[in-house]
Amino acid sequence: MPIVYASFLSNQQMSVNSPYTTHHHWDIFCTVVDNYGDIGVTWRLAKQLVAEYDIPINLWVDDLLSFSHILPMLKPHKAQQHFNGVNIFHWGKPLKVDFEAGIVVIEAFGCELPSQVKTVLEQRHQHPQTLAPIWLNLEYLSAEEWVDGCHGLPSSQPNGVKKWFYFPGFTVNTGGLICERDLFSQRDEWQADPKHKLALFKQLGLQGINLQDTVISVFSYDTPALMALCEWWQTSTTPIHALIPQGRSLHSLVSLLPCPVEYLIPGQQIKLGNLTLHILPMTDQNDFDRLLWSCDFNIVRGEDSFLRAQWAAKPFIWHIYPQEDDYHLVKLQAFMQIYCDNLAPEIATTWSEVNLAFNQGNANAVVTHWQHLNSVNVSLMQHAIQWPINALKDADLASRLVQFVDKI
Amino acid sequence: MKTAHEIRPGNVIMLDGSPWVVQKTDTTRSGRNAAIVKLKLKNVLLDSGTEQTFKGEDKLDDIVLERLDCTYSYFADPMYVFMDEEYNQYDVEADNLGDAADYIVDGIEDVCQVTFYEGKAISVELPIHITREVIYTEPSARGDTSGKVMKPATITGGGIVAVADFVKVGDKIEIDSRTGEFKKRV
Repeated sequence: MPIVYASFLSNQQMSVNSPYTTHHHWDIFCTVVDNYGDIGVTWRLAKQLVAEYDIPINLWVDDLLSFSHILPMLKPHKAQQHFNGVNIFHWGKPLKVDFEAGIVVIEAFGCELPSQVKTVLEQRHQHPQTLAPIWLNLEYLSAEEWVDGCHGLPSSQPNGVKKWFYFPGFTVNTGGLICERDLFSQRDEWQADPKHKLALFKQLGLQGINLQDTVISVFSYDTPALMALCEWWQTSTTPIHALIPQGRSLHSLVSLLPCPVEYLIPGQQIKLGNLTLHILPMTDQNDFDRLLWSCDFNIVRGEDSFLRAQWAAKPFIWHIYPQEDDYHLVKLQAFMQIYCDNLAPEIATTWSEVNLAFNQGNANAVVTHWQHLNSVNVSLMQHAIQWPINALKDADLASRLVQFVDKI
Repeated sequence: MKTAHEIRPGNVIMLDGSPWVVQKTDTTRSGRNAAIVKLKLKNVLLDSGTEQTFKGEDKLDDIVLERLDCTYSYFADPMYVFMDEEYNQYDVEADNLGDAADYIVDGIEDVCQVTFYEGKAISVELPIHITREVIYTEPSARGDTSGKVMKPATITGGGIVAVADFVKVGDKIEIDSRTGEFKKRV
């Protein structure tokens, strides 16, 4: 157990009548908004806090069916379950399981806490002999500059309870990035032996992929840019394999498919010139990481897969969650700026243009800039390898989070 | 109650049992379009400052205090002096004006609202729409008349506003005093 957390516990336990001697767990509340993004982040964080900090975690999730897609052993109709050391509760309305306050309550991505939980927080706040749990709002990841100024600020609620905003981010003034302690060594070990990726492809039911073929994973939202790329890849002089799970990416490719999207089955192949589309089965998070490590290029979306693609040390396109007034392009630009900070201008421009065109759904531009990627591929690959080390700086999100809680 | 999104510099809100004057608001967007509002606050009773962050839809207890319509008179460092219709003068600390100070210059005729707490003038709210003269901006680079291309302009008092490309030196422009956003050429 890290010293930071040990000292935190001992400080709290010295309090008179402290409830922490028996209830020293953390509660994380998550509403599933877009299938795998929000739950992906909270599930990773929950597992890491248990595994690396020995913190008992209760994870409350409103949609266990969606959750089961990334945790196949989860039973969607069960109110309480236990996996990877994490207590998983179905967040019904009202709660089906009594809420007992621990040390920390995290509302992920500004989800509205259940009224029962708010009542407990208020009651604890009003009775000085019991310490109220620390209430955190874990926000979305953004590379924008304003995040530095908002991270860690309090937010006094009308009931008198103070909530704290915790912003993940890329600078030392933010809450950091989720990354497990041994992830990079596991990745390096995996990537050192090509047999690993061939074994994974076989395990996932993907056939006909040779070591020298180009393999691209695709986990995007709908966009005409993907269709344009697939049409271009068909004309490639060497084999290209696009690995695509059931879902929104495939809805962009309807005219290329032999049947409606819902009739496609995992492992199915669609051969289009030198491009082979492979329908991916859903995987758990560990296999998804290995998949990203095994591909030559990854197209990812949202927040969780976006970060995992960075940790994969491979070039990628980030399809950012679309926002009103194209505000997502501001966020994309902010990330591209820091990602390209120490890149040669021609590489930075090419990579940024591909990302921008993909996010704008600009079919012609994405193909044009994709072709330019080949000429900068070696340098881009080197940058992708160095980037995770630069981005993580001195601490990951979980360790900064534990330190943050310790300081409050 | 107001939402955090509706709070303006000059408002006074109750937090943790104390009145705080809002000196500055910054609204940004988190993921999935949710607004995040950062407030710079000054405790009216203790003279201490803090910053807090809220979701845009969070409810805040704004308190209705005595207000008077006043016009700006002059600056006596570090106080801005305002005058009501009966020629009574009220001093407001520069700190308490926040970003509004950028728009308060000699000669303005805006009717501002001065807020009082226990007889002391603690903050000033400008009208939402104010008119200021552009004293410097680069000539139009592209002859754009759509208003979509923006460029920086210095207004009376020295503040910088992003204005439409067609705006020229000497033009009077309307600005949203809450956001500093250019609205139109007057």
